[in-house]
Amino acid sequence: MSRVKHLFAVVLAALMLCLLMPVAAFAEEASDGKMIVYAKLPSDWSDPHLWAWADDGTNAFDAWPGGEMEADSNNDGWYYCWIPETTNNIIISANDAAVQTSDYKLESKNAWVTVTDAENVEISYDAQTTGDLPEYVEKFKIHAQVPDDWQDVCLWAWSAPDGKNAFEAWPGKTMSKGEDGWYTASAPVWVNSIIVNGNSGDVQTEDISIDAAEVWVTVSEDGTSDFTYNDPNAPVAEDITVHVKAPADWSEPHLWAWSAPDGTNAFSSWPGEALQEGEDGWLTLSVPGWVNSIIVNGSDGSVQTSDLSVETGKDLWIVVSDAENAEVTYEAPAETVETAEAPAAESEPTVAAEPAETKSNAMPIVIVVVVVIAVVAGGVVISKKKK
Amino acid sequence: MKRLIAGFLSVCVAVSLLMTGCSSGGTDNTAQTDGPVTITIWHDKEDEVAQALQTELDTLAPDIVVKLEKKDGLTDSLKMVGNDPNSAPDMYFFAHDKIGVYAEMGILAPITDFVDKSTLNQYIPMTIEAATYKGEVYQLPIYFETLLYMYNRRYMSDDEVPSTTEELYKYMQENTKGGHYGFVEQHSTAYYAAGWLHAFGGYILNENGKPGLDDENTIKALEYHKKFVELMPTEGEYSTVNTLFREGKAHSTIGGPWLVPTARESGIDLGIAPMPTVDETGNKIAPYSGVQGIHVLKVAAERKHDAIAKVLQVLTNDSVGIAMAKASGCAPAKQSCYDDPVISGDDMVMAMYDTAQDAVPMPNVPEMDVMWTVTENLLVDVNMSGKDVRSSAQAAQQQAESLIKQMQ
Repeated sequence: MSRVKHLFAVVLAALMLCLLMPVAAFAEEASDGKMIVYAKLPSDWSDPHLWAWADDGTNAFDAWPGGEMEADSNNDGWYYCWIPETTNNIIISANDAAVQTSDYKLESKNAWVTVTDAENVEISYDAQTTGDLPEYVEKFKIHAQVPDDWQDVCLWAWSAPDGKNAFEAWPGKTMSKGEDGWYTASAPVWVNSIIVNGNSGDVQTEDISIDAAEVWVTVSEDGTSDFTYNDPNAPVAEDITVHVKAPADWSEPHLWAWSAPDGTNAFSSWPGEALQEGEDGWLTLSVPGWVNSIIVNGSDGSVQTSDLSVETGKDLWIVVSDAENAEVTYEAPAETVETAEAPAAESEPTVAAEPAETKSNAMPIVIVVVVVIAVVAGGVVISKKKK
Repeated sequence: MKRLIAGFLSVCVAVSLLMTGCSSGGTDNTAQTDGPVTITIWHDKEDEVAQALQTELDTLAPDIVVKLEKKDGLTDSLKMVGNDPNSAPDMYFFAHDKIGVYAEMGILAPITDFVDKSTLNQYIPMTIEAATYKGEVYQLPIYFETLLYMYNRRYMSDDEVPSTTEELYKYMQENTKGGHYGFVEQHSTAYYAAGWLHAFGGYILNENGKPGLDDENTIKALEYHKKFVELMPTEGEYSTVNTLFREGKAHSTIGGPWLVPTARESGIDLGIAPMPTVDETGNKIAPYSGVQGIHVLKVAAERKHDAIAKVLQVLTNDSVGIAMAKASGCAPAKQSCYDDPVISGDDMVMAMYDTAQDAVPMPNVPEMDVMWTVTENLLVDVNMSGKDVRSSAQAAQQQAESLIKQMQ
């Protein structure tokens, strides 16, 4: 009988083990390539952030101190942040990065980090919090520059028109001030409306409708605001000078310039801006330093070069021999080529390549005629803008 | 005895030469044997599409062996060797828009020489219209593509999708700011602008090969479209528009099915919706459609008639349309393919199917060759240089007519 009991106990244990395995596997499984890092922090550590990177040096976040750790309302004292499971080297910092832990390498699974002080950290892979893990929500950054007399700057954010709020109570989430004077906070990507406020909500902007993309909001003294999705603090390339020698028969040469592939144009309409007489026979024009694509054109845009890709931020010398041939250098060429008495591009039909193998049996005349006419017709008309 | 051996060897050599032919890359239409028939089909498709087609056609083996040959410069090659029995393929798989050129050259055989006309009733009418030139059907349609209205659900909810162009314009006004755009498109590219012209009853080229750039409806469309262009980047070419959309800097766009995979890879929650209706006319933006299908070369039509008929018979199977749609991401040309749950459950394919009701097949007349550049020059004048619409349209019309006259 005891052998039967023993056998029964072994089978039961095996069954229970089998039942437990999926649960354990689920608990350890990262969510869609992401893992959660929980941290319990000393009481004097506030506004915690998580910096994380992969073994190959890939960072989880754009800039130090990294991702903001959210307080878990169901687990007092615990903060969390989701990171890609490949970026499992971490540092936790707080108080505007005035305090931080050493760096720790985690296993690529959900982790609970208890920070006693900067030197003493305990890591567990068994849940130290209760309830379900908070859902991963993608966030985006909102930066604000506010009047000097605005203190305690906060972000209020919601989704319109349903009115779902991102933060629990007005005035919302505290925005942290960076060294550049801009305040920053993150909001979930379902947010499409914000208010930036200060002085405990006594001063504020109007409602601002935005896209869920990193945005920079500038608040004026009267509370009005403007915003841009392009980093206003990004280094601005100084203007460059473009020097051009164009064919003699190109009247009033113009420059068309833009940034590819985003399509930002230097000039409002084609054919762009007229080149001015410069020294030594060069035509010149100043264009923004971010320009990386140029077309030289003439005769009211009816003749033109192809797209010329150029390096940003460097003065250019472009010698245009004809519509098909233009040479770009970043220093004045010692000897410039003669600007050709170029025949108009219209008179240069290209001849279709002969097939690799010609056949002895003659093609019907109609085929030859159609092909030749198509080629000539195609060559006669040229595009006014690049293709 | 020696003479007998010599005679036998001569026959062997002659037969061998006939079997081998002297072509390279094409097929040998000068030899017809009683054994397995080889059908050569030129194409320009991606490997997935070709493989899917090959799998379907392999069901004809061993009696008929179909060889798919990917051909660079397919259209030029056909112009040069299309009626050369030694070099031309038996069939080719390509878009419909060159049918007029090849039909005028006399190198195409009507599909109805091999397929019963009633079979064509099973196809979406627009696809048969595309395949028809001067009353003859020269292509068995397989699948088609149209431009689609696409949007980024992060910025534009399904409820916000504009159903009319005025709603779209209002949305653009409200959401084009800070470096983001409510809507972008290749506004000065003829293929994209055509949809707006058609919605007004305008056209680039009609079925008779007559340009319509100075048609009153075309001018109205160009004038109406300008206010939309003003809310888009001036630089409206392919890479700019697609980059803006893929990088989340544009809420919506009109693009081809080729944009869908890259948009999804970029993490965009992509929505696809019907084209907006132009308030002034009550017509939807009606883009061009491109119909991909099989054409038969005249040089093969007689010698391999039965084999070609069998190949075309296989290609009328629903399984071909479904397999090709899955491989290409495009919409089947045959109506009954839409009963398949995989097809009817694909929102992109179904959006193309819906658009097909309004889409206009790209003109297949030879005159279209000169119209693309002339039209785009007109669009640059109007949209980018700010020139007067009417005088620009009249100048473009004159240029188009002059070029077409030269062709004739």
